[in-house]
Amino acid sequence: MIDEAILAQINGPYVCPPDAGPAWRAAAEYGFDMALVEDSLRMTPEQRIEEHQRALNLLLDIESARDLNDQNRPG
Amino acid sequence: MIKIVQDDQALLLRLCNEQVKFVIIDGFCGIIHGVTLLTKDLDICCRFTTENLRRIEAAVKDLHPYHRLAANKLPLELTDELCGRLRNLYLQTDLGKLDCLSEVMGLGGFEAVLQRSVIYRLSYGEFRILDVDALITTKQAVGCEHDLAAVRQLLAIKEKTARRDT
Repeated sequence: MIDEAILAQINGPYVCPPDAGPAWRAAAEYGFDMALVEDSLRMTPEQRIEEHQRALNLLLDIESARDLNDQNRPG
Repeated sequence: MIKIVQDDQALLLRLCNEQVKFVIIDGFCGIIHGVTLLTKDLDICCRFTTENLRRIEAAVKDLHPYHRLAANKLPLELTDELCGRLRNLYLQTDLGKLDCLSEVMGLGGFEAVLQRSVIYRLSYGEFRILDVDALITTKQAVGCEHDLAAVRQLLAIKEKTARRDT
């Protein structure tokens, strides 16, 4: 049974854990998805680097494609 | 189509293989600490001795390195005379951007940076990175919006890690 509290978590936004400190809450209020930071902290440093590389490769692919599109745009 | 590449692991391995003395700083250092913001270059602080600069040159010499901030994309061709005058090297290579700094804002020169660094062991080598407090200090000193955003995450990470470790 999904109660209202769980449903609220499912629907978001991110809710700080009860034991979150002031810096954690400040970062969440600033707008960071702190669930991503939680995920990152569960990883080893090497896994963080690999995850970053995957994201960076995707971004660079998109930028390369965008540059190509810009070159091919008429006028 | 020009493929943009940034392979930080490959760059680090090359620096390691040439026994360059360096500390990883800035965005990539933040990634290792757990920051989730993307960074598109590899920044290191290193001793700007002729020997160390020559090692950097050797590490990237087959990667068509050039000074990426120079208007005419000047190739990296070090001389002893030039080594003595360099303060920073902003390089573009076939494996991506590698920025080598002799000083880090808010911290000082290489020796000061070295004292504020910790060793991280990865499967492909052992590297020094700024400790989390030093990274916060330098990002606050730089003060750009992007750096201050990273500081917010770093403070949260530091807080959470401290609680976890006690």
